[in-house]
Amino acid sequence: MNTLVLNTLNAISYAAILFLLASGFSLIFGVMGVLNLSHGALYMVGAYVGWTIAVKAGASFWLGAVAGGACAGLISLVMEAGFFRRLYKQLNEQMLLTFGFVYIIDNVARWIWGSTYKAPFTSPVLLGSMKVLGARYPTMRMVIILVGAVIAVGLWWLQDRTRAGAMIRAGMDDREIAMALGINLPVVATVIFFVGSFIAGFAGVVGAQVMGIYPEMSMAIMLLVLAVIIIGGVGSVQGTVLGALVLGAIDAFGKALFPDYAMFTVYMAMVVVLIIKPSGILGRQG
Amino acid sequence: MAYAVSQWKVFRFTPQIIVALVLVALVPMGPTYVQSLATKILIFAIFAMSLDLLMGYAGILSLGHAAFFGVGGYTAGLLAVRLGMDNLWIGLLCGVLLATLVSILFGIITLQVRGIYCILITFALGQLLHSLASKWRDITGGDYGLYGIPLPTLGFVHFEWSAASYYYLVLIAFVICFFLLYRLVKSPFGKTLQGIREGESRMAALGYNTWLFKYVAFVVAGMFAGVAGVLSAYHNGIMVPGDLAVANSGLAMLMTIAGGTGTIYGPVIGAALIIVIQYYASIVTPDRWPLILGLAFVLAIMYSRAGVGVYLYRLWKRML
Repeated sequence: MNTLVLNTLNAISYAAILFLLASGFSLIFGVMGVLNLSHGALYMVGAYVGWTIAVKAGASFWLGAVAGGACAGLISLVMEAGFFRRLYKQLNEQMLLTFGFVYIIDNVARWIWGSTYKAPFTSPVLLGSMKVLGARYPTMRMVIILVGAVIAVGLWWLQDRTRAGAMIRAGMDDREIAMALGINLPVVATVIFFVGSFIAGFAGVVGAQVMGIYPEMSMAIMLLVLAVIIIGGVGSVQGTVLGALVLGAIDAFGKALFPDYAMFTVYMAMVVVLIIKPSGILGRQG
Repeated sequence: MAYAVSQWKVFRFTPQIIVALVLVALVPMGPTYVQSLATKILIFAIFAMSLDLLMGYAGILSLGHAAFFGVGGYTAGLLAVRLGMDNLWIGLLCGVLLATLVSILFGIITLQVRGIYCILITFALGQLLHSLASKWRDITGGDYGLYGIPLPTLGFVHFEWSAASYYYLVLIAFVICFFLLYRLVKSPFGKTLQGIREGESRMAALGYNTWLFKYVAFVVAGMFAGVAGVLSAYHNGIMVPGDLAVANSGLAMLMTIAGGTGTIYGPVIGAALIIVIQYYASIVTPDRWPLILGLAFVLAIMYSRAGVGVYLYRLWKRML
């Protein structure tokens, strides 16, 4: 019973990190139509910035998280203003551009912070454990779940209950009509790009409590995001939550049951979903 | 007027003659590293041309093309290292066969989804093989790679390889591949692919089985990538999991884009450019090579709508 609770909590906390990551990506894809392959790299940059502030400078952990998000958001603004605007409507080219940026961001990060692994770090307040359903569980992981849940609810509320959310969903479904109705889609797109990237950078610091930071992260993280998107579907918060939970469960229980092949269960799940329902379990077809 | 045109006729082939001269006669006369570099360029030219068939003609973006390259190379390498079968013909046959089988499987999975998702699926599939190569230490040698791949024997003749002679082998393979791919894209099949790239629903309305055409293109592209992989395995003497990774696919993609998609000679020029830049970068600033690569990628997409290869082609045409 104890192991079941622990594994479930592991699944949920991992799912929370995955959700934070994938939600930004899904938002950006839904509104701009661009697959931001540099999303994983932005996560990594956020983590490094957060590390610099929280560990090297010894300041507040949450300040580091916000700073990480801000940095990632800033990079996204540069990408958007300097490059995407010039490739108006060329979605394939924009996506390939983000791929090029992975190399650039990755290498610059290596230049600044070096290639060594940074161990997981967290706020001193969150060290220690608490009692959950009869088991002892690390406090910081519970906080991760809380943060994930709060942002999930926030994004869902934004998507389903606000006018801004309606505009975003309209833009996802039909760009031309939305713009014809007077919705300023380019501005919405820029804001969403910033928000999505901010969440990625923020998630980087939050996730660093568990995963640490290592230079090859960008691509590895990207893969996880893709798995969430493929399984859960793009364009809705609910889909991303579902995908994240499924993946978290596969990862946690996979690691417990067959440790060497956990990654392959992820791939298998992706392939299965692709063959049965290519747009993802809760995907919207644009 | 008529005689003025015929006077210029011989100049129409000048670039081809120069290139042929350089490739056949000049390269082998240089130091060994020139042949090695040229061999690498030709291998990647085959790899990039195969990707161009997919990207430039069928309109399918793939970030997992290195999977077929790697499968071809690892197969040839495994045959040589674990089974002692270093015969060139067997290596080529099995390597290409396995690469084709993998592309038959991956093609079905990839073409399940529409356009933009293809790149995600190919990314995932490529990484799947990459981690397979990394984890399957008993067979593939894991992260240390499959090393000790000898230069192949020709079977019927005892032959001592040199950098120059292996270069000639790759040159012959390259010419054959180039010729085959050129005929393929100029054929009705190639034209149909381009039609699908420009407007799939239109082609479907005209009665073409668009899925089948894209699938065949995918498999053929995988086949040629396998050829490049086999040649690379023998040339480098080692295959590492990185040969299957997204980074390698991205390299081929950069060569194709920089050189010019939708042409068969474009990726060749792109390959030459990138390999040369990589060579000098590895001497001057090896740590910053990915940065240079990324910048080159960004520049290629932002500024060369057609590609360096096409630019050179148009330049030559204007000089006529």
